[in-house]
Amino acid sequence: MTAEPAVAVRGLTKRFPVPFTRRLISAVEDVDLTVNRGEVYGLLGPNGSGKSTTLKIILGLVWPTSGSAKIFGRDSGEVHSRDSVGFLPENPYFYKFLTGTETLRFFGKLCGLHGEQLHQRIIDLLDLVGLTNAREQRLATYSKGMLQRIGLAQALINDPQLVVLDEPTAGVDPAGSRDIRDLIVDLRKRGVTVLLSSHLLGQVQEVCDRVGILANGKLVREGKLEELLAIENQTELVLENASEDLVKRVQELARDANARLVAQRRSTTTLERFFLDATDE
Amino acid sequence: MIRVLVVIAAILCFGAVRLPLEQKIPAQDRQLTLGLREQIGQLGFAAALSGFRSIVADIVFIQAHVAWERTEWARVLLLLREATTLQPQSIMFWDMAAWHMAWNASAAVMNDESQSLTVRVRKQHQYFDLGKDFLERGIQYNPDNPRLYEAMARLYQQKYEDHLHASEYFAKAAALPGAMSYDRRFSAYELSYCDGREREAYEKLRALYDEGEKERLPTLIKRLKFLEQKIDIPQDRRIPDSA
Amino acid sequence: MRRTLAIASNTLTDLTRQRVFYFILIFALILIGSSVFMSRFSFQQELQILKDISLGTMSILTSLLAILATARLIPQDIEDRTAYTILAKPVPRYQYVLGKLLGVLGLLVISLFIMSALFFAMLYTREQTLLSEAMRQYATAPREQLEDALRTVRAAGLKIDIAQAIGLLFMKASVLAATTLLVTTFATTNIFTVITMVFVYFIGHLQEIAREYWLQQTGNGWFTHLFLALVALIFPDLQAFNRVDQVVAGHALSLGIFTQTTLLGCFYIAVYTTLAVVMFYGKEL
Repeated sequence: MTAEPAVAVRGLTKRFPVPFTRRLISAVEDVDLTVNRGEVYGLLGPNGSGKSTTLKIILGLVWPTSGSAKIFGRDSGEVHSRDSVGFLPENPYFYKFLTGTETLRFFGKLCGLHGEQLHQRIIDLLDLVGLTNAREQRLATYSKGMLQRIGLAQALINDPQLVVLDEPTAGVDPAGSRDIRDLIVDLRKRGVTVLLSSHLLGQVQEVCDRVGILANGKLVREGKLEELLAIENQTELVLENASEDLVKRVQELARDANARLVAQRRSTTTLERFFLDATDE
Repeated sequence: MIRVLVVIAAILCFGAVRLPLEQKIPAQDRQLTLGLREQIGQLGFAAALSGFRSIVADIVFIQAHVAWERTEWARVLLLLREATTLQPQSIMFWDMAAWHMAWNASAAVMNDESQSLTVRVRKQHQYFDLGKDFLERGIQYNPDNPRLYEAMARLYQQKYEDHLHASEYFAKAAALPGAMSYDRRFSAYELSYCDGREREAYEKLRALYDEGEKERLPTLIKRLKFLEQKIDIPQDRRIPDSA
Repeated sequence: MRRTLAIASNTLTDLTRQRVFYFILIFALILIGSSVFMSRFSFQQELQILKDISLGTMSILTSLLAILATARLIPQDIEDRTAYTILAKPVPRYQYVLGKLLGVLGLLVISLFIMSALFFAMLYTREQTLLSEAMRQYATAPREQLEDALRTVRAAGLKIDIAQAIGLLFMKASVLAATTLLVTTFATTNIFTVITMVFVYFIGHLQEIAREYWLQQTGNGWFTHLFLALVALIFPDLQAFNRVDQVVAGHALSLGIFTQTTLLGCFYIAVYTTLAVVMFYGKEL
């Protein structure tokens, strides 16, 4: 059992018929993909590259034309493959006439939870995603970011071993985006496997252990992030309080050792960090 | 695609399976559905068979009522035919239709001074017949309801002054469950006016009299005494003079 | 089962909070409006028209509600991606479809219950008024005549048959809801569903006639024959559930017919729901 990876996709192909013609368009073509237990896996690709279709097949919402998708060794076609899975769709939308608490209670019941256990879980999750104050409001009054957070809470309601997030930060402001990132990091600490799709590379880089890149339905690259991005013969140094003299000496040392200084610049912060620092004050 | 074909096949199979079941449940208005199209327009027909029937019938009936208030007799007749066709199970529609024709319309033509008396009398009888016609058809649809027999009896009694038929219809009403308590008595009264049926009428009245105080109403005693006289019942078997 | 109930109660809550019960106001208005006519009529007419209008309106409103409420349930869920979230939980698809249907049936029960309560209250009040009027009118007449008069009023008033007829109205609306659910599993738009269901509604009421003609095997051409056969086999017999007219006209509804019709209704619902589930299992979200 422990040998089974969290997600195993083998030879996955999905073709959709084009209405009124006999042609098929291929959304996913022969994709192999493995998400190991406990890791954060990022599925990258431009819009329309087949990310969402792949996730839907893994979750049993769409059937593969050929190939297979398994969660913890169980085929995605089985209902029980989703016993320990949480899913947050892209731009989630729920019953807008329900309150936050009611929404979570509904999804909890769908996972077979009930009674005091469910009640406590709802309180904890509302606290976790910071919606305790809005818990009795109807979802119609929620902002996009709040909907995303209630969506996250429902994905976590059954304390899943695998969390699937489809574009989790789409349309969310930077603060919300950071919260989600922190949450993913926290999930990894607790040993939860996370599979997320995104077209925002910066984010993926910050949290993912491994990434796969989809283009036109094909998996064109896959591997550990540092390995994929490492430039074999280069090393970066970042110095603080370095005097002109020190910099000169480093350059000389490099020249003496037959190395070449490729770039030298003043460090800048990212715009995101700058924005967050500014809005935190 | 295969799934869609399977579902269509399943719907057809289900249709075949349920057919005997549907046939087994007695339809409430087969005559209605078959005879209706000639009577009312296509729109009315579609509406009538789509769950709007009783409402359409009521609207037509209310229109008939308005036409009556304006004494437009031809229109009253037309609308009442429509209402009774739409809702032939409504006793009230038949009853009212017959009443409008035989009592109201017939009285109205008699008051029409512009016509000669012969014409008026002929027209009056035509209206009696229209009333009778409604009741006959109403009875065809609703053979177990005493109300229409009672109405028919009254029509014969008051309009045609045909006591024999009136007696018959009161008797038919009396034999049905839910009949008025006077039906049996009225049947006997009417019979007592028929020449040649005196003996039969006497026996019926006497039987009612013997049932006890409840039936010993003034008219009954009067008719009984009249018959005792007429067919010469021996003194000792006659009823005592009332106090 | 628990999941199905969760989906059902969620569906019901969602529908309720969309203020669908406002349509009951229409019913109340029609009920009150109809009493305006009443003063012109004799008591038998009055009670019959009150019953006709109330039950007719109930029949139409519940049928409409069944179609309109069901038509948007699943398509809306898919459009809003709520269906993704639900089905990504360990919820079998049949439970999802069943839960949706049960939610609508719950809605139908509640609305019929409220409308019946209003209607019965109105009918009971009128009946009592008429009874006391009859008592006053016949106060000096023999007891027998008074009893006849009271009996006539009671016969035109509130009777148990009416509750049975309302039960069949519920069956009809439920059949329509199950059929709508089936249509939504292959329909691409809401408009398509609603138009299809309007056809089903009207043709369903005429199915009995098509069936009769078909089975009587009169010398029609093969095309007419095939057409009639298809109508009889595809469409549900909705007229079978329209016992309201008969009951209002004062004819008893036998327990046998009531039971048979109810069973027929359950049969329809079971088959159409099963087919909806089969279609939904093939649906890619």
